[in-house]
Amino acid sequence: MATEVYRESFERRTKTVRYLRFLEGLADTQVGPIYLGMWGALAFFSYLLCVFITAIGFGEQVGYNPIRFLRELPVLTLYPPPPSAGLRMAPLQEGGYWQLATLFLSLTLVFWTIRIWTRAVANGLRPMVPIAFSAALFLYAAIYIIHPIWVNSWNEAPPHGLRGILLWTNHFSVKYGNFYYNPFHMVSIFGLLGSTLILAMHGATILATLAYGAHREIDEIEKSDEGTHRAQLLWRWVMGFNATAYSIHQWALGFATLTAVAGAIGVLLSGPVEPDWFQWACRADIVSGLQKACVP
Amino acid sequence: MSIENNPAPPGAVAVYDERQRTILRGELAGLVAMTVLALGGVIALSMALADWRGFQGWRADSTYNYAGVQQINFVEYLNRQKQAIAQPSVEALQAYNVWQQKNPQTVNVQVLTQYLGPQYNTTAKVFEYMSKYFTPGVGQSCEYCHNLENFAAYDKPQKTVAKAMLIMQFELQTKWIDSIPRPEGQPLYQLQCATCHYGKAQFWNTDQKNVPTIENLAMFGIAGGGNPTQYDMKHYGITLNGKPPASYEIVDDKLLAARPDAKGEVNYFQVTATKDTPPGLNDTYRNQAAMYHMNTALAVGCDFCHYGGYFKSYVLQDGTFKWPKSQARHMLGMVQDIAINWFPQMPKADPTRGDLAQPNCWMCHRGHVVPPGAYTPGEGEVPQKVSDPQIKPLVDLPVPAPKLPPQ
Ligand code: HEC
Ligand code: HEC
Ligand code: HEC
Ligand code: HEC
Repeated sequence: MATEVYRESFERRTKTVRYLRFLEGLADTQVGPIYLGMWGALAFFSYLLCVFITAIGFGEQVGYNPIRFLRELPVLTLYPPPPSAGLRMAPLQEGGYWQLATLFLSLTLVFWTIRIWTRAVANGLRPMVPIAFSAALFLYAAIYIIHPIWVNSWNEAPPHGLRGILLWTNHFSVKYGNFYYNPFHMVSIFGLLGSTLILAMHGATILATLAYGAHREIDEIEKSDEGTHRAQLLWRWVMGFNATAYSIHQWALGFATLTAVAGAIGVLLSGPVEPDWFQWACRADIVSGLQKACVP
Repeated sequence: MSIENNPAPPGAVAVYDERQRTILRGELAGLVAMTVLALGGVIALSMALADWRGFQGWRADSTYNYAGVQQINFVEYLNRQKQAIAQPSVEALQAYNVWQQKNPQTVNVQVLTQYLGPQYNTTAKVFEYMSKYFTPGVGQSCEYCHNLENFAAYDKPQKTVAKAMLIMQFELQTKWIDSIPRPEGQPLYQLQCATCHYGKAQFWNTDQKNVPTIENLAMFGIAGGGNPTQYDMKHYGITLNGKPPASYEIVDDKLLAARPDAKGEVNYFQVTATKDTPPGLNDTYRNQAAMYHMNTALAVGCDFCHYGGYFKSYVLQDGTFKWPKSQARHMLGMVQDIAINWFPQMPKADPTRGDLAQPNCWMCHRGHVVPPGAYTPGEGEVPQKVSDPQIKPLVDLPVPAPKLPPQ
C-alpha cells in the first residue's frame, strides 16, 4: 500500500526498518532501528535505578499492596530531607530515598543528553537537539540541585510524585511572594505561550498546504506557486511578514529554550537575591493600582 | 542525497499523496479523540478522587455565596442534618414544676449570675436558659445533668462538666468573640453550647479521632482533598506533643508554641520569605494544610480572606481591608487558647471516654462563615467580664493585637 519508491529508499538506508500496519492511519509506520550504545545503556540503567528506588519508597507507603498503590498513586510522594538536614545525606525514610532517586534521575538526564549529542554527531548533524534539550536540563538542575545547594537545604527541592510536584510549584511561589511577579517567570511564560503559538501556526500551515504537496518537500520548495510559497504568502497577507521554511524553526527553538532558561534564572534568583517578588514588583513600580498591598 | 532526486516511477506520487491524506485524516481523528479522552479522563479522575477522599458534600450545604452571606440558624442546621431538636422529657418538666414551687429563688446558681446578672437568681429565669440553650444545645433532657429530686445538687458528673463548659464559654466570649475585629455595623454573635455541640453531648473526642476512618475524619471536618496524609505530615515536620497527629487539624506543636514577638505580632502560619527566612519549604506545606482546613471549615475560597495576588497582605488591590483575614487570625488565637487553657482542664463526665480532641475551625463553623450554632445577634444577654472566674486559664496567654485597617 505504501509507495514502493519511498519504501525502497527507507530500506536502502537501513535493513532493520519495521512497518506497523495498524499505525498506518495515524502516523508513519516506520519503527526502528533504535541505537543503544554505552550512553544509552547508562541512561537506561540509571533511570531503572531511579524508578526502582521510587517504587520502593512508594511501596513502603502502601505496605506493598498493589491495589492501594494504584489507588493512592496520585498522592504518593518521596519527600526531600527536612530543613534541619541541610545538604547532608539523610536516612532512607527521611529523604534518603529522595536523594538517591534524584541522583539517578540527574545522571539519567546527563547520560541522555550525551547520548543525543553523540548520535547527532554520528549522523553528521549540528548538535541542535542536545543543545535544545540542555535548556530543559538547566531548568531541572536549577530547581533540583543548584537552588537547593545555594540556599543550603534539599528541602527546597520538589518531592517526587504526582501531587508532590504540583504542591511544590504552588508552595515555591507562595514562599517567594507570588511567582507571577517574578520578571523571569514572566519572560518564561512569554516563551511558553510564544512557542505554543509558533508551533500551532507552523503545524497548521504545513497541514494546510497538503493539497499543494507540502509533504513533498524538495519539489514543492523548488517549484513556485506550490505549498511553501502559498503558506508564506498567507502569512504576509495576514500579518505583513513571514518566516521562511528555515527560520520558522529558529523561531521555534528560540522561544522554546527561552521558556526553560528564563524559568531557571527566575528560580535561581528566588531567595538569595529576591525573597519576595511582589515586593520587587512594588519597587519596580509595576503593580499599578496595587500599591496598597505593598509593605511600606 | 541522491535517492530523493531520482524521478519517482509514474503513479507513485499520486499514491503517496493519497496516503498522506489518509494520515492527515487519521491525525485529525486522533486529535479529537485525544481531546475527548483527556477531558473525560480529567473529569473521571476528579470524580473518583473526590469520592475516594470521602467528599461529604457539605460544601454544597454552604449558604455563603460571593454575592453575600445568607446565614442559617441552629434549627435550620439541625434540619439539614436530619437531627431533631431535643426537648425536656415529661418527667423532667413535672419534677421541675415541683422544684420551682418549692424554690422560686435559686439555690446554688453561680455562673449565670456571675456573668449575666442577678436576674438569674430566680428559678424560672434559669429554667428559661436551660430549656433554650442547654437542652437543645447538648441534645439532652434535664435528667442528663440533674438529679430530678434536687436541681441544685452536683451529684451527676455531667452537671460538673456543664458548669465548667459554661465558664469556658463565657470566658471565650469575653476574651475573644467580643473583641473580634469587626467592620462598622457587623453584628456580634455569641457562643452557646450549640456552637460546639450542635445537639450532641459526645461529638469531639480523641477516641474517634485516633481511628482515622473516612467517617471519623469527616466528623472532624478534615476529609477534604487538600489535607495531608500522616506520611505527608511526618515529612512536613508537623507534630502534636512530639508525634505526627492522626490527622491534620490546625493545632500542632508550632501553633501551641506561637507567642507574640517584640512588636506584639504572632506568627501562626506566616511563610512569605524575607532576607532572614530560613531555607526549607516545610513551613509552607504546613501553612497550606492549615489554609485548606480553613477553606473547608468555612466553605469559602482563599479569596474570602486573602488578596490572592499577595497572601501576606491584609488589603485588596483597591485598598479595601480584608476583615475576614484579620478575624481569622483572631480566631487562631482563640483556638490556641482553647487548646492550651481550656480543653486540658475540662472535667470528664464519662471516664471510659478519651480526652477532648483538639479544637479547630470546623468544630464551630461546620462549613459556614458564621457558625449556625452561635446566638443570633441580640438574642441573649451579653456576658460581662469577671475578675475572678471559677476556672482560670492555665497559662496567661497574651491576646495578639488585632490587625486593623490603616487609618
Ligand atoms: C448539660 C447539663 C444540663 C442540662 C441538660 C440541664 N441543666 Fe439545669 N443546670 C445545669 C448547670 C451546670 C446548672 C448550674 C448553673 C450555674 O451555676 O450558673 C444548672 C442549674 C439549674 C437550675 C438551678 C438550680 C439551683 O441551684 O437553684 C435549675 C432549676 C435547672 N438547672 C433546671 C433545668 C431543667 C428544667 C432542665 C431541662 C430543661 C435543665 N436544667 C437542663 C446543667 C444542666
Ligand atoms: C468550645 C467548645 C464547647 C463549648 C462552647 C461547650 N462545649 Fe461541652 N464539650 C465540648 C467538647 C469538645 C466535649 C467533649 C465531647 C466528647 O467527649 O465527644 C464536651 C463535652 C461536654 C459534656 C460531657 C458529655 C459526655 O457525656 O461526655 C457536657 C455535659 C457538656 N459538654 C456540656 C456543655 C454545655 C452545657 C455547654 C454550654 C454551656 C457546653 N458544653 C459548651 C466542647 C464545648
Ligand atoms: C478563613 C480565612 C482564611 C482562608 C479561607 C485562607 N486563609 Fe490564608 N491566612 C489566613 C490568616 C489569618 C493568615 C495569617 C496567619 C498568621 O498571621 O500567622 C493566613 C496566611 C496565609 C499565608 C501566609 C502569608 C504570610 O504572611 O506569609 C498564605 C501563603 C496563605 N494564607 C495562603 C492561603 C491560601 C492559598 C488559601 C486557600 C487555600 C488561604 N490562605 C485561605 C486566613 C485565611
Ligand atoms: C469556639 C467556636 C469557634 C471556633 C473554634 C472558631 N470560630 Fe470563627 N467564629 C465563631 C463565632 C461565634 C463567630 C461569630 C463572631 C461574630 O462575628 O460576632 C465567628 C466568626 C468568624 C469569622 C468572621 C465571620 C463573619 O463574617 O462574621 C471568621 C473569618 C472566622 N470566625 C474564622 C475562624 C477560623 C479561621 C477558625 C479556626 C482557626 C475559627 N473561626 C474557629 C466561633 C468559632
